[in-house]
Amino acid sequence: MKTTAIAPLVLISLAGMSTSAFATQYLTAEQAQKVMFPDATEFKSATLQLTLDQMQQIEKLVGLPARSAAWRTAMAYKDGKLIGYIVLDDVVGKFELISYAVGLLPDASVKQIEILNYRESHGAEIRNTNWRQQFVGKSASAGLRIGEGISNISGATLSCTHVTDGARRIAAVAQVAMVSTSITAATATQKK
Amino acid sequence: MKRRAQPWLGTMVEISIADAMTDIALAIAFEQAFQSIALVHRLMSFHAADSDISRINHADVGAIVEIDVHTYHVLQTAMQISDASAGLFDIRIAGRLMEWALLPATEQERALCQTYQAQKTAFTLTVDGTLKKQRADWLDVGGIAKGYAVDLAIQSLQQCGVRQACVNAGGDLRVIGDEGDDPIEVLLRDPAHPSSLAYKISLQNQALATSASYFSLVQTTQGRYSALVHGQTGAAMLDKVSVSVVVPQCILADALTKVVMASADADHACLTQFDAQAFII
Repeated sequence: MKTTAIAPLVLISLAGMSTSAFATQYLTAEQAQKVMFPDATEFKSATLQLTLDQMQQIEKLVGLPARSAAWRTAMAYKDGKLIGYIVLDDVVGKFELISYAVGLLPDASVKQIEILNYRESHGAEIRNTNWRQQFVGKSASAGLRIGEGISNISGATLSCTHVTDGARRIAAVAQVAMVSTSITAATATQKK
Repeated sequence: MKRRAQPWLGTMVEISIADAMTDIALAIAFEQAFQSIALVHRLMSFHAADSDISRINHADVGAIVEIDVHTYHVLQTAMQISDASAGLFDIRIAGRLMEWALLPATEQERALCQTYQAQKTAFTLTVDGTLKKQRADWLDVGGIAKGYAVDLAIQSLQQCGVRQACVNAGGDLRVIGDEGDDPIEVLLRDPAHPSSLAYKISLQNQALATSASYFSLVQTTQGRYSALVHGQTGAAMLDKVSVSVVVPQCILADALTKVVMASADADHACLTQFDAQAFII
């Protein structure tokens, strides 16, 4: 028979403290680039503007609305050679706002997804664009309060489908608008 | 505390490392730990057609299915907990979740899956590491695999020399640290108001998992359902409570929450057997 003594669990009541105080910054966009492409010697940021035709192609590929025409992207180079892409995005869940980065290989396959920051709030706030803009793309030093020490929440599993759907959409964005563009650019360079 | 998070296992997996390490050592530790999580995701996903679980589900009754050693361990532990809880915990519940549209399925797939009956044997595990399918029940290890993924990630971190860390897979978490280290605080959601916190608990070298229906509740024309299935009745568990279990291994914490939820007993005999403690809020 087992006789392991178990220390009694101590639960401290928080009397309904709101999770809207809960925010965690994991990586800045710059850190995420380096984490996903540690061999890169150079990153070039760019805003990708999709055409209506490209947006329709993306919708067809993923079966999800293309949602946005403008995407924050970066290209990773190693000694002048393109080794991958990074696309930044934000998604709103039940009551959470998640900024994340998708790293893609030159063939537009997803290499890695990194959560940049996670913030919980109440419904009304999270659907307010201005409120959301405060946090989007912010780095730790630029105002996101990091909950050191109170970082772990346990509860029923909160689905992350909106992030994985978002990453699928981004893979399609890359396939439709980035791979072809860089191929065009490469061809143009060769012709010179 | 250095933190990273990635989406895996249908949720957000967060890894926190407290050790002072070089940037390269830290990057390797995160990489190894996330790879462990990714491995469990690939092997045990219900959705991916080439996962061990999908191959078992699509196999004919009587077929021998080759499975990975990790899948074997999870299925073996699931059987142990089912036996110890007289079927309160059961992974043969995929058919129920498919009926309630909580798991995706085609008409054809639903037809392949047998009607749920409590305490039946869906498979036997052979000594040479394979599985023999015994019944056309479909398996979903969503109630135990997250816990195992956490254990595997913790093991990876330890192999990289990490001493103090926490791995949290959507609420199923485990902390490691030396005796002199400060305990790690975990906040628990209020099941009646999930965007509020009810309690704080300190953990040291323990795992904690919480189950509740508040994030998975669905209302259909047929009724209300949740992702938590009572193993003996096959009914969805809808109570507005949350169950947490504390035990050294996260795989046990994850699975045992369903035993406590189904029995509504925080002192269920099964807990003593696994040196676990539970609370219902």
